[in-house]
Amino acid sequence: MGKATHFGYQQVDVADKQGLVKGVFDSVAGSYDLMNDVLSFGAHRLWKRYAIGLSNVGKGDKVLDIAGGTGDLAIKFREKVGDTGQVILSDINGAMLEEGRKNLIDRGLVDVGFVQANAESLPFEDNTFDCVSIAFGLRNVTNKDAALRQMHRVLKKGGCLLVLEFSKVDNAVLEKFYDFYSFNVMPKLGRLIANDEDSYQYLAESIRKHPDQETLKQMALNAGFAFCEYHNLSGGIVALHKAVKA
Amino acid sequence: MFRLALENTLNLLIASGAIKLDRLEDSTIALHVPELGISLYFVCINARIHVLEAQQQNSDVDITLSKSAFVSLFKGKELKDLLANDEVVIRGNVKTAQSLSDLFTETSIDIEELVSHHTGDIIAHQLGKVAHFVKKGNNNDIVAVVETLKDDLSTLLVAPSRSRFFDRGEK
Repeated sequence: MGKATHFGYQQVDVADKQGLVKGVFDSVAGSYDLMNDVLSFGAHRLWKRYAIGLSNVGKGDKVLDIAGGTGDLAIKFREKVGDTGQVILSDINGAMLEEGRKNLIDRGLVDVGFVQANAESLPFEDNTFDCVSIAFGLRNVTNKDAALRQMHRVLKKGGCLLVLEFSKVDNAVLEKFYDFYSFNVMPKLGRLIANDEDSYQYLAESIRKHPDQETLKQMALNAGFAFCEYHNLSGGIVALHKAVKA
Repeated sequence: MFRLALENTLNLLIASGAIKLDRLEDSTIALHVPELGISLYFVCINARIHVLEAQQQNSDVDITLSKSAFVSLFKGKELKDLLANDEVVIRGNVKTAQSLSDLFTETSIDIEELVSHHTGDIIAHQLGKVAHFVKKGNNNDIVAVVETLKDDLSTLLVAPSRSRFFDRGEK
């Protein structure tokens, strides 16, 4: 095996991780939104709205939503930027991107751009966007440092990066409940609703392998961002990192 | 919540042309109001203000002031008068601090209401005031204000700690 990385709790070859993650999202794409609603009790909608609130995005802005999946953030950003702005929904996974395209077209949003791209090598020029977001996607990226550097590169000066991601729970009691729920309930719901227990076992494991709040903040600063802060949501189950390029 | 309301208000006013950010371009200003438990970092870049809460390393100016001085700033009191009365301590460029103070005055934010307890009502009220600033009758601007209001209210549901400093401030 070449250089190793984690895929949930498994150690896998770096070269294999992207394909394994692709397998997960190919499998869950069709039921992704439903599963998000069920597993988070609808809270993912509030987490995303909170992220939008902190985005500082206004009319005429250009926004890139990485790992945008089924497009719920892109829909909200499109409302914010108006007809004079631009939103690009990007995802490495074609099946997820297709779900996003369907959702946006169903809402009559035909001017959102779709780009299938790897966050580690974004196909955009330097200083292009006012805001870059990645919601529940960074966890699945193999080389997170490279991805953060790319996000910094494509942002304009004064633009901000929003990383919404599962994180480290900041309450011991909540953590016990959350652990039980993650490893005993989530995979079974995955089997019941999406006919896929393994993908939701991966979800629970990948959350535990993701950098905690402070580590991710430091990673953003190391990637070139001048400012970074994070907000714990729902007791740290999710954290929103906001980083600004100077 | 206070920070979100302030950030959104300032940026809506900048976007509508009601206030200008030229004098603060590329500045980072730290503002501390210990009595209210407020530490805010105003990052002004590229005609945009990001209001951050977490401590940032590289601020150009550091302003510490009393609650009453903080309120006075929004009411248009000159910074030099507050300095003369020892109500404010400034480390760094005083002109930059004055520019931020001028910006607060221009927003016409009702700061006393903003730091009171009734958070949800305050945001609605403040954004209602902002709606008057932006062009009257322009549906897009009103939609933006309503959307901002929804975003702010979601804060109370998923991150209630973000609004708790109002309580600390009253102790």
